[in-house]
Amino acid sequence: VRCQLCPPQRALQASAVLRRASDEQKEPFASSSQQQSSSHATDHQPEQEPQGPRPSYTGQGGQESEDYESEEQLQHRILTAALEFVPEHGWTAEAIAEGAKTLGLSSAAAGMFHSDGSELILHFVSQCNTKLSELLEQEQKLVQLGEAEKKPTDQFLRDAVQARLRMLIPYIDKWPQALSILLLPHNIPSSLNLLTSMIDDIWHYAGDQSTDFNWYTRRAVLTGVYNTTELVMMQDSSPDFEDTWRFLENRIADAMNMGNTANQVQSTGEAVVQGLMGAAVTVSNAGTSRAGR
Amino acid sequence: VYQVFESVAKKYDVMNDSMTLGIHRVWKDILVHKMNPSPGTLLLDVAGGTGDIAFRFINYVRSVRERQLQRKLRHHQNLSWQEISESYQEDKSKSLGDSQVVVCDINKEMLKVGKQKAQHLGYSEGLSWVLGNAEELPFDDDMFDVYTIAFGIRNVTRIDLALQEAYRVLKPGGRFLCLEFSHVNNPLLSRLYDLYSFQVIPVLGEVIAGDWKSYQYLVESIRRFPPQEELKAMIEDVGFFKVDYQNLNSGIVAIHSGFKL
Repeated sequence: VRCQLCPPQRALQASAVLRRASDEQKEPFASSSQQQSSSHATDHQPEQEPQGPRPSYTGQGGQESEDYESEEQLQHRILTAALEFVPEHGWTAEAIAEGAKTLGLSSAAAGMFHSDGSELILHFVSQCNTKLSELLEQEQKLVQLGEAEKKPTDQFLRDAVQARLRMLIPYIDKWPQALSILLLPHNIPSSLNLLTSMIDDIWHYAGDQSTDFNWYTRRAVLTGVYNTTELVMMQDSSPDFEDTWRFLENRIADAMNMGNTANQVQSTGEAVVQGLMGAAVTVSNAGTSRAGR
Repeated sequence: VYQVFESVAKKYDVMNDSMTLGIHRVWKDILVHKMNPSPGTLLLDVAGGTGDIAFRFINYVRSVRERQLQRKLRHHQNLSWQEISESYQEDKSKSLGDSQVVVCDINKEMLKVGKQKAQHLGYSEGLSWVLGNAEELPFDDDMFDVYTIAFGIRNVTRIDLALQEAYRVLKPGGRFLCLEFSHVNNPLLSRLYDLYSFQVIPVLGEVIAGDWKSYQYLVESIRRFPPQEELKAMIEDVGFFKVDYQNLNSGIVAIHSGFKL
């Protein structure tokens, strides 16, 4: 599959890799003429085009046209390919290099990304969030078509969070490493963004129509529940993570009860307490001796 | 250019140290660090005469490989002695993990000095020395993972040809890295730098290498070299993607990087 563009068409080695994604079998010289509209290096183009083996001078012209895959899309493909190497190499430039190799690229292509593996993790998180959205969308369709019952809110939230956390299972060994990288200052804006939009998504599909100050509380609460459950999952060694799901069930139940209290300010404070409690559970499970105890 | 380097070859390293007050070592370290090569990488170092980049590359890859092996051994806790010793032997023989560096230079003298240095420092495997011209490399297409040219590209007559050759010999996904003196963007530093370059360096050249003219040439060629943005445009024109540069010491030196995608 990879080397279908054989040597005689070497002139377009430049775009060969980028083009593969679109699977278009255009005539090389026909498509190269599209690149003639490039503003760069126009001096050399006309004479060089007919000579096949000579490297093409064509510049960035074809880069952004819709027939060609963009750099970004290629980067996404590399990152997706790299995911399968994460269990072995962790969230590192090595995994990205291996991923690049499976696409037929040199391992040096991993140099396009940050050396701490941040982009790989963010890519993964974003992929998971997209999968979750699709899942929730499908469920919603089934409900609308009358093929399924609408779940009560607490069960809906429980199932959504569980579904999302289950996506971590193949990578669970290396996930703590990923979490710590996501907490690095230069990653916090992106990781926070992804987290909040995922939470928003879940509430959206849960049928949350409120636009009052309840909105903030709900999001804070669910974010707290999600984060703490994630931490508990890191420590969990029970079969199929049943302890984690039980923890999740309890936290959601608490959150529901909390929603019934009149005092909204208090409930936001409670969300914070929830978070601390979850962290405390995690810490005590880890058995590390913390200062002060 | 050839004659300049013929006379300069033997004293090249000493002059580098004194001219840049030893900072050139840091610059070269940064270059290899930025490359972050994994074991199995094939590097072409052009105009790399005395082997500085090549040796650093080998050191880096060796330490990465060691870490890899250590990690593998940790996972091997459950294997039998037989299996462990077999895998150990197989890994031992590949201390570089199939990484290789080809040092290419137009100048025989520079290569000679490089080979001697390699012997002296104990580098034996993974190194090749090839005589060649950057504008017309004696290599096939799509061969190398990384192409580096450290302080060499300003000596090339037709920079665009050298860039094209770089593009040609790189594999898809391969990386182009160029370390070169560049434009200082800080006006104060710029004046000090000019003063140093024109007053001090040729004098050092005379005192240490007995060659005023070569170093005068050096300083002038640095001034004539295109600044960062212009070089970036030239690299893009040849077909590299994701071209970027990193200024070191506010522009005294810059590392340009591009990918063949």
